[in-house]
Amino acid sequence: MATLPLANRRLLLKTMGAATLTCPFAGMAVASPSPSTSAHGKITDAPIARSASQDDLVPFHGTHQAGITTPRPANGMVAAFDVIADSLDDLERLLRRVTERVRFLTTGGEPPALDPLLPPSDSGILGPYVRPDALTVTLALGASLFEDKPWLKQLKPRHLSRMTEFSNDALIASQCHGDLTLQFCANMQDTTIHALRDIVKNIPDQLVLRWKQEGNVPVIEPSRDGVVESARNFLGFRDGSANPDTNDTALMDHVVWVSDTRNEPAWAVGGSYQAVRIIRNFVERWDRTPLNEQEQIFGRKRVTGAPLSAIDASEFHLPDYSNDPEGNVTPLDSHIRLANPRTPESDENRILRRPFNYSNGITKSGHLDQGLLFIAYQADLEKGFITVQRRLDGEPLEEYIQPVGGGYFYAVPGVKDEHDYLASSLIGAARA
Amino acid sequence: MARRLLVASSIATLLIAGPAHAQKATFDLVGPLAEYKIYVSENLQQLVKDTTAFTDAVKAGDVEKAKSLFAPTRMSYERIEPIAELFSDLDTSIDSRADDYEKKEQDAGFPGFHRIEYGLWEKKSTDGLAPVADKLLADIKELDKRIGSLTFPPDKVVGGAAVLMEEVAATKISGEEDRYSHTDLWDFKGNFEGSRKIFDLVSPLLKDKDGDFIKKVTANFEKVETTLAKYKDGNGFQTYDKLTEADRKVLGAAVNTLAEDLSTLRGKLGLS
Repeated sequence: MATLPLANRRLLLKTMGAATLTCPFAGMAVASPSPSTSAHGKITDAPIARSASQDDLVPFHGTHQAGITTPRPANGMVAAFDVIADSLDDLERLLRRVTERVRFLTTGGEPPALDPLLPPSDSGILGPYVRPDALTVTLALGASLFEDKPWLKQLKPRHLSRMTEFSNDALIASQCHGDLTLQFCANMQDTTIHALRDIVKNIPDQLVLRWKQEGNVPVIEPSRDGVVESARNFLGFRDGSANPDTNDTALMDHVVWVSDTRNEPAWAVGGSYQAVRIIRNFVERWDRTPLNEQEQIFGRKRVTGAPLSAIDASEFHLPDYSNDPEGNVTPLDSHIRLANPRTPESDENRILRRPFNYSNGITKSGHLDQGLLFIAYQADLEKGFITVQRRLDGEPLEEYIQPVGGGYFYAVPGVKDEHDYLASSLIGAARA
Repeated sequence: MARRLLVASSIATLLIAGPAHAQKATFDLVGPLAEYKIYVSENLQQLVKDTTAFTDAVKAGDVEKAKSLFAPTRMSYERIEPIAELFSDLDTSIDSRADDYEKKEQDAGFPGFHRIEYGLWEKKSTDGLAPVADKLLADIKELDKRIGSLTFPPDKVVGGAAVLMEEVAATKISGEEDRYSHTDLWDFKGNFEGSRKIFDLVSPLLKDKDGDFIKKVTANFEKVETTLAKYKDGNGFQTYDKLTEADRKVLGAAVNTLAEDLSTLRGKLGLS
């Protein structure tokens, strides 16, 4: 036991050191993410091979939470929990505890050494020193958290609701909804797993794990011309070519972040709606589909990602349907055309996607259980994901995909500084 | 009288058994361990008596009577599981589940309480259960005999408080233990009682600085008790399917927190 105070002091010094180092940097975090990961233009760009380091640090403090417009690293996970909190004090205690863990995990440091007769304070899977590894942990709240509680009910964000089934969905109850989600993103899968295990170990009395889904995106070699391609999904197509540019702050304020013009509760300003969908891909059947048909279904060329309206261009060339009202070039029911018809009216339906591919084992029928962990952020859930998905209802791609889980959540505003905690504005509003 | 004798003999065996470095901790534990041995032996007596009545009913072909005796009989076993499990051959033969066998319920090797439970609830019959019942009673008597001559290892007893919670947390809270009878809440009750007994016996040995720890653990045991009490029905409990989603979560959080906290109990008492 004699080693305990010493180890604690060492940790404290380390943490203070790290804080002093990153503080000036944290202020810039929102406008420009950490230099080691800021080369990318869009979050759906594929992570570049050999550029990731375990010392990559995505600042935890800021106006907005990290993990939404910050670059998408190779690994992601969404874990949904049910919350045990009978009072506002309980909820505040939970949010402060999550904040404390996430601040440590995303900053890195040395977990305290305990008496070897006791279980260790850390799982140890990252070694004795936890390096940040570009970890972000993004907290979002589900409608059920508000609806169950008379003292919180009036503060529910306007569009936050329990996800309802769309026509092609076959939702599995045990993989849907939840009071709270944590989205973990990091360079290595082990880093996301380490973070989840830390949370589960430290907060077992208030967080009951409900479901989780892990995923990853392929890391690619840098191209000679410096252009970063979008990562491919498990259907072999590039996913995210038309994603809004996360370096465009004004665009993010319009598409992603809830501002005070949105008629939302004041506490919610600076947050964003999170739509999570676990979408199974019937990959065997897809792989038995002619290439032409695959491309007609998506509206893009498979190899380059070029839109069918400009097949010799790159994936970043904007699709143009103005001379194709009947869908002779790009079918009217192709995925990209339904999702974004590119009319002046459809501009307000834009969303920011942050998906990961998942591979879970096999089904009872012996088919591969693979698909897309779809995560989207938007300032207006109704005009964003829900409208886009309604437009997609009945699309030919449905033959090959089936959403089975997920939910709608509200990613709370950022943690301003070391004295602040996640969703402090919500707790403040509930006390007022 | 019998009780005092037992305490004295346990002190004697313990003092000889403890390794040198753990002698101080072991010495402090002598009293609690002797008390615990009495608790286990009382439960074993009850278990032998109840299992005799239960297996008699099975062999007499009285399905309804056997069903009514199933859950109460198991409770004494569930209370002392950390000790019973020290004899893994018997634990397997008494309390294993269909999952442990390749052909599940159809596996000829599937024995014990849950094999009989399957017959009574799923097949609604005692056909073919007589040999299983005989074997179960013989195993229980053998368990009684072996535990009677066992020197209780202090780390297994103290660690048992957490082990019981680990098991509830990992494979019971879902309702998979008594999947045919859905009498899981009886088992929970037995497991929590068994865990709390150990905690109550050894917690006076904890240091003053562990006051908050004792308070927290006690509060979680009480939360479990209050939650389970909602489902009381006569001398026992309603079936698992009556457990609401909200209460399942409360129990899940409490049992995981108990497992987490009680995992430090051995270390806090200086046991390795």
